[in-house]
Amino acid sequence: MTAPPDPYPENPFRINVSESQISQLQQKLALTVLPSELDDAGWAYGSPLPDIQRLVTRWKDGYSWKKYEAELNDELPQFMRDITVDGFGTLAIHYVHKRSQIPNAVPLLFVHGWPGSFIEVRKILPLLIETSAEHPSFHVVALSLPGFGFSDGPTKKGFNVARYAEVANKLMLSLGYQEYVTQGGDWGYYVTRAMAVEHGGKHLKAWHTNYPRSASAIHPLRSPLKYLNHLVKPYTVSEQAALDRTAQFAKNGRGYIEIQCTQPQTLGFGLSDSPVGLLAWIYEKLQTWSDTNTYKWSDDEVLTWVSIYWFSRAGPAASLRIYYEATRSGDRDITTATWEVKVPTGVSFFPKEFHLPPRRFLAFGNLVSVAEHTEEEGGGHFAAYEKPNLLVGDLRKMFGKTGGAFGAVTGKNGYN
Amino acid sequence: MPPLTPTISRETPFKIDLPDSQLSYLQKKLSLTTLPDELPESGLDYGVPLSDMQRLLARWSEGYDWRKHEAELNADLPQFTRGIDVAGFGTLEIHYVHKKSITNTLKQVLAFSGPGLFIEVRKILPLLVETSKDHPSFHVVALSLPGYGFSEAPRNKGFSLAQYAEVGHKLMLALGYDEYVTQGGDWGSLITRKMASLYGPKYHKAWHTNLPIRPLLFLSHIISSLPIPFLEYTPREKSGLENTLRYYTQGSAYFAVQSKEPQTLGYSLADSPSGLLAWIYDKLRRVSDNYPWDDDEVLTWVSLHLFSRAGPTAALRIYYEVVRSFPEGSSILTMEERTSIPVGHSYFPKEIISLPSRWFSSPYLVFESQHESGGHFAAYEKPVELVDDLRKMFGRGGGAFNVVSSSDGYLSPS
Repeated sequence: MTAPPDPYPENPFRINVSESQISQLQQKLALTVLPSELDDAGWAYGSPLPDIQRLVTRWKDGYSWKKYEAELNDELPQFMRDITVDGFGTLAIHYVHKRSQIPNAVPLLFVHGWPGSFIEVRKILPLLIETSAEHPSFHVVALSLPGFGFSDGPTKKGFNVARYAEVANKLMLSLGYQEYVTQGGDWGYYVTRAMAVEHGGKHLKAWHTNYPRSASAIHPLRSPLKYLNHLVKPYTVSEQAALDRTAQFAKNGRGYIEIQCTQPQTLGFGLSDSPVGLLAWIYEKLQTWSDTNTYKWSDDEVLTWVSIYWFSRAGPAASLRIYYEATRSGDRDITTATWEVKVPTGVSFFPKEFHLPPRRFLAFGNLVSVAEHTEEEGGGHFAAYEKPNLLVGDLRKMFGKTGGAFGAVTGKNGYN
Repeated sequence: MPPLTPTISRETPFKIDLPDSQLSYLQKKLSLTTLPDELPESGLDYGVPLSDMQRLLARWSEGYDWRKHEAELNADLPQFTRGIDVAGFGTLEIHYVHKKSITNTLKQVLAFSGPGLFIEVRKILPLLVETSKDHPSFHVVALSLPGYGFSEAPRNKGFSLAQYAEVGHKLMLALGYDEYVTQGGDWGSLITRKMASLYGPKYHKAWHTNLPIRPLLFLSHIISSLPIPFLEYTPREKSGLENTLRYYTQGSAYFAVQSKEPQTLGYSLADSPSGLLAWIYDKLRRVSDNYPWDDDEVLTWVSLHLFSRAGPTAALRIYYEVVRSFPEGSSILTMEERTSIPVGHSYFPKEIISLPSRWFSSPYLVFESQHESGGHFAAYEKPVELVDDLRKMFGRGGGAFNVVSSSDGYLSPS
């Protein structure tokens, strides 16, 4: 008897950067001109020269893109699918998709941010898929957002967060996942938040983030008791440290965001033309946003992250536009929307995230799961990549038999 | 003030003469340029338009003749270098333009900075040194700030306004001008204001700026000024405030990046002529007032940055150092700098920060003028108007007439 036709046929994809692209990169690297640096600059002025020198040398001689491309292809089953977006035509969307052995595993969509990519799912994927009587299992989908990785970039102005959310939702539906849950940080937070607001209850059944940016719940009129409590209850040591870190980043770490939000093309010319320019721009974030006490980036790891941008289908300049469009549309506004999210919500706090509101600030409509990780446990902005075990642990608790989002997806609770 | 020691090295004439290897390196880079795509109808909204960049890059590769422009710069601008000692930073070799008028005249120093350069003095220079019985004449000195043009850059952290001021001041003394006046815009405005507070009135006798700024309580001072008292503002003042707000909300990202992560940005500017062109051209277009930039003009400005002695990254550090030097919670717009020498303001409507002139009140404000057009690069966009202002300010009947004791700027004794 023949197998029934696959109701949701997919188009397999393998990354295959051409020789001419690789040799063009090599030609440019060979002509690299590096800037000077002040004596004892360290990290004060940005990416340090000795680091960048070392990375460029490695990129030129020794780093093999093809080796890491093959590893990605082996680990991450990838596909392409055309998704039509209202008013924007059809975009070819690149995504990772791997199913659990258990048919009623929980369908989960992972959404990356900037300067991340689909690669951020690589370590949590095997853990999420894993089946056990002790914890739920997941089917995992991780897309490259339009303009990132090997997805098409939008070709018209105005592709704001709601459009990214539309792509993600349509992708899940097209794979037969009428109900699903999401996990995301950085832009993944904004995109999944928009999905939760738009499709929450109907399609998106639960929502987890490691980058909670919400309006403060502390409001004299809306929550007077909370407000009074806030006035008298001092911050804990770790809350204060988190607030200090948040303030420090807000003050000193936000140059990149202003240019990406206002004149992305002006920046984009340099990032498109100069591999070392792109490398330095991204490297600074990888180091300063992660918990370098507990996670050590290898040079090849950094170069692979950056190469994904360099070899991306839409080019590095396209990836900046999400900032511009979201700003123009008011999508980065955090004062609305989170109150309206009524689906079960889970939050994980990692100590070296750069925006870390105290727990009492959280203003989500239905918060069912909060995980706070200690300094010792570690973890920063790229939680799925730096601390896959901790993040998956948090998801297993949230969706597990005693978790606040157990059974969120009808008939798919993740157990046999 | 302790006595200042004279500079330790002599003046050396200087001519720009880029090695052929640098020009051929540029050609090689240009031939490998990779451009981004662009969304249809982006205009200027997303940044520099692709079509402009394509045209400029094509010209830079073929047609643009650096040697021709190099020769013109050398012909128009008599240049020199000399070592200036800066306390805590050693000796920096400073590149400057120096041209004397034929009369006994006032002395002037002009400070410039990015993305402007010493080239900004080129149009006002002949007008300033011109002699006439009807207006004063000037000896002109225009330095390349450390890290710009052909001046050395500092090697250590912390080179801020006081240090730039020290360089300007010591240069004037080294040239024998122990009394001088200044004109400055952009960073030149803050630097000459610092000079005024440090070296006036003994040495620095008067200063003029086309970017007048004064302490505001905070940015929202501007925002809060707009609604209710708005009705009291003239259309011109309102437009100036709107310009200022637009600059702060949409047009100052370059400032944020350069003042927070200059090195991170600097790799792409040093490595990609296309990237550098885009970064600078964005400013040239955005903050000037319908100035008809010629492609070769733009390319000459950008080439001077690309081939500057310290490289394009060094020019960014002034943003970082000055912002970091302010006490916690203060900024360029909130820092007070008391000066007690005559000051003159010229207002050009498309300047990035355009505050109402009546927000400035000082017993030392001796000259003001309002212009109907002109933007950030006043000396370059509106040379005649700017020099006219200076002639009025320093001329007979002007508020700063005869501030320099040894001469008044006229051919015959007044």
